[in-house]
Amino acid sequence: MPDPAFTRDGFAALLAAREPARRPTVTAFAPISGGYSRLTAVAEVAWDDASPERFVLRGDPPPDEGVFVSDRDSEWELLQALSRSRPVPTAAPRWYDGTGEHLGTKCIVAEHFPGRSLQDALRDTDGQQHLSDLYLDVLAGVHRTPLDVLPASMERPPDWDAYVDGVLAGYAEVERELSDSNPVLRYVSARLRADRPPPVPFALVHGDCQPSNVLVTDTGEHVVIDWEFARVGDPREDLGYYTQIPMEPNLYHRDPHAFLAGYRARTGLSEEQVDPRTVEYFLVLGIARLHTQILRALEDVGRGRSRGVMATYLINAVTHLDGMFFRIARGLPSSALTPGVGPS
Amino acid sequence: MIARPTTEQVLLDCCRVLTDDVLPALGDPVAQVRVVMLEKVLRNAAVRAAGEIAWMREEIATIEDYARKVLDRTSGDPVRQALAVLTAGPRDSLLLDDVVESYCRAGDALSAALEAVLAAGCRDLQHDGEQLLEQRLHREDAVVGGWQSAGR
Repeated sequence: MPDPAFTRDGFAALLAAREPARRPTVTAFAPISGGYSRLTAVAEVAWDDASPERFVLRGDPPPDEGVFVSDRDSEWELLQALSRSRPVPTAAPRWYDGTGEHLGTKCIVAEHFPGRSLQDALRDTDGQQHLSDLYLDVLAGVHRTPLDVLPASMERPPDWDAYVDGVLAGYAEVERELSDSNPVLRYVSARLRADRPPPVPFALVHGDCQPSNVLVTDTGEHVVIDWEFARVGDPREDLGYYTQIPMEPNLYHRDPHAFLAGYRARTGLSEEQVDPRTVEYFLVLGIARLHTQILRALEDVGRGRSRGVMATYLINAVTHLDGMFFRIARGLPSSALTPGVGPS
Repeated sequence: MIARPTTEQVLLDCCRVLTDDVLPALGDPVAQVRVVMLEKVLRNAAVRAAGEIAWMREEIATIEDYARKVLDRTSGDPVRQALAVLTAGPRDSLLLDDVVESYCRAGDALSAALEAVLAAGCRDLQHDGEQLLEQRLHREDAVVGGWQSAGR
C-alpha cells in the first residue's frame, strides 16, 4: 500500500476504501493552480457499474507551506448541510478523508461541476446584465440562508456589538503578538471601534464570495464553491470583501449605487444599513480573518520558519490592504473623535 | 566585500533569470505561479535593499518628533512608555537588524501617539499623525509596486 499522499494513488486508495464494490479506477489526476489556500486537483474515475465521473479534491497543504488556515471538518459539515437543504447550490460533496489516512491530508472530494468561473464569464461578456444579476442572486441567496439549516457546531455570535468588537479585537491582538509594528492597523481599529454602522441580522457569510467562486454553465446553472471561510456573521462582510477583489470586471466598482440597490432589493435591507460607507466599513471586518492570518505567516517568516513563497508574496497584499483600510478609516465622520477612543 | 553589483542589482538579475530562463522552461502550472510570485518577492526585496536603512532612519526621527509633540499636549502614559522604549533601543547602529528594531519601536510610539490624539480629540495632531501614516504607506506602496494576485 502506498504512503498516503495527495496523488492519484492516494485518491485511488480512498475510493477503494469507500466504494470497494464498484471497482473504481482513477484515470486522471491533475493538480490545479489558482487557489491561494488549499491543495486542489481534478480527477477522473472509471466505475464498473456507471459512467466515468470527474471530481474535485481539496486538501490542506503541508503545515509549513500554507498561509490561510481553515478547518476541513467544519467545511465538510457545512457542505453536507447545504447539500441537504439546498438554500444555495453547491457542488455535491461525495467523500471525506477526515484523517488523511489515504491522501496524506484532510481532503474533501466533491463532484466536478461542468461550468466555468463566473469571473471569466463576466470578463468575456464585459459584465453582461444577466451574469451581474446572477452574482447578486448568489450573494443574496447565501445571506438569506436560514441559520437553522446550518450545522449546530457553527458558532453563532451572541450579539452584533460583541461580534464587531471581537473582530476588531482580533486585529489588536495580532498587532500585539507580532514582532513587527503596524501603526496603520492600530489607527484603523481605534477609528472603527468608535464609529459603527447600524446593525443588521446575522446571516451565513461565505467569507470569499467573489465571482471566481461561482461556477456557471452556458444555460445559467451554477454552484458556489470554496466554503472554507464560511461563518455566521454580518452579511455586509461579503459585500465589503468583494470590493477589494482586484480582478476585472468588479461589479461593485463599476456602479456601486446600482450594485447595492440590487442587493438591497434582494435582501430587504435598508439604504441606511447598506450603502457605500457601510460596505467600506465591512471591507475591514470582512477580510480580518485572512489579513490576520497573513500577518501571522509573515511573523513566522521573520522568525525563520518558512511558510512557502505565498507568505512572502502576500507582503504585497498587506501593503495594499493597509492602504485601503487607512483611506476608509480616515474618511469616517468626526463622530469618531470622541473621548474613550483608544487602546482597549 | 564586493560592493558592485549592489544587492539590488544582484536581485534584479535573479529576477531576469527567473523570467527569461526558468519560467519558459516550466510545464507545471503550479510551479509557474510559484516562480511568478518568487520573481515579485525578489523584485520588491531589491527595491527595499537599495534604500530601507535610510528610509527607516528618516521615519524614526520624524516619528520621535511627532510623539514628543503629542506627549506635550496629552496625558498619554502609553506614549511616554513607547518613547522610553524607543530611546533605549540601538538607535546609533546601522546594522539592519538594529535599524529594524528601532523602526518597530518607533512604530509602537506612533500607534500610541495616534491613539492618544484620537482620545483627546486633538485634530491638528491627528492630521499630522495621519500624514505620517500616509507617507509610510506611500513608501511601502513604492516598494511593492502595487498588488497583483498572481495565478488568478
